Amino acid sequence: MDAQLQQLRKFISLAQPIPEADWLQFAELWKPLSAKRKEILTHSGEKERYLYFVLEGQQRVYYQDAAGREATLVFTYAPSFGGVLDAMLEQRASNYHYETLSQSSFLRASYSDILRLKQSSTSVDAFIYKSLSATISGLLMRMVELQCFSSEEKFRALLSRSPHILQQVPHKYLANYLGIDPTNFSKFINKLSI
Amino acid sequence: MCKLHSMKHSKILTTAAFVAELHDRVDLHLQQAILIYQNSSEEQLNRTAENGGWSIAQCLEHLNSYGSFYLPLFAKALKNNPGRPVGQVKRGWLGDYLIKMMDPDRKAVQYKAMKKHLPAPKLDAYKTVAKFIEQQEQLIQLLAAAGSADLNGIRIPTSISPIIRLRLGEAFAFLIIHNERHIRQANRNLGQPEKQFIASSGVANLPGNTSELTTIAE
Repeated sequence: MDAQLQQLRKFISLAQPIPEADWLQFAELWKPLSAKRKEILTHSGEKERYLYFVLEGQQRVYYQDAAGREATLVFTYAPSFGGVLDAMLEQRASNYHYETLSQSSFLRASYSDILRLKQSSTSVDAFIYKSLSATISGLLMRMVELQCFSSEEKFRALLSRSPHILQQVPHKYLANYLGIDPTNFSKFINKLSI
Repeated sequence: MCKLHSMKHSKILTTAAFVAELHDRVDLHLQQAILIYQNSSEEQLNRTAENGGWSIAQCLEHLNSYGSFYLPLFAKALKNNPGRPVGQVKRGWLGDYLIKMMDPDRKAVQYKAMKKHLPAPKLDAYKTVAKFIEQQEQLIQLLAAAGSADLNGIRIPTSISPIIRLRLGEAFAFLIIHNERHIRQANRNLGQPEKQFIASSGVANLPGNTSELTTIAE
């Protein structure tokens, strides 16, 4: 557990140092969790009660509707936070599913506990604010890519951000995430493999 | 048809232990497909084996044909009155026979595959790999449901004939061991050991085996 908490602390410190006293309170909130492949941690329609910190494995947040449409919105993998963020922040039912794409392990904290600590700890508050800014930045950039980039440019942008993802996640999810037809996606793979 | 072997008594496994073993095996198959097969070139996937046997794509297409038959049956069985988990997952003589026949650690014997399970000579390799991955993910989810089902009481038809039925537990084991057999065969086409996430059985090196297993009969 100690080593896992150290991973979490190291990750947070990149954005925001947390003084020892605050860290001790923050660390207490996290519990370990593991899940098998293709487990749904949060179902669409459920409240997102938790913030996840990914230690191992890959996961995705996705939308699925009755018409059979599916949109992979976000991939999470170590070290990063996970869960359905908007539902967590607003404490309401999620519009999306959060599922594992491989055997996974996490630290998980109840968001209501974090919210309580946030009120008394300026560093935890600052960290949450910085994380949300970075998330919004990332989402805007992704919108630019989806609207302006060619399929090949989108493919290369994904690889530059997440170089190992081709070997970790079934390509159908990546193609879906990029809005690329699976046949076109395979052509890029073939080019890379030759 | 192959020789009949004496039936060994199967290990005593609870539903939970049985499902866990099978889950871990399917997960390894998925890791192999995700790490290696879907990132291989089309040429490599379609390349005939050195001894004239099936390509990687053909091995996977063969497995896909079994998955297409069995997975919907598993899903239906688990949805309609699944029953409860058992203390010992049983194997009857037919299940035992089929499972032993598929055992990848056994010396390879050539069989003629049923026509409906023979892969085409030319395949869309990436589509074949994608279908294999899709089916294995379904299998993972079905195994999760199987954990709370009666794997002895539920019977399903086989692709040999609808009147020849297996217990659900045996059918899962048969399908997954059959997958293992052909994944090892596919991996021998890769050559480099570091690409073989699942170790080759070394079957091709056994004395008397001049050609490796290319086809299977049920």
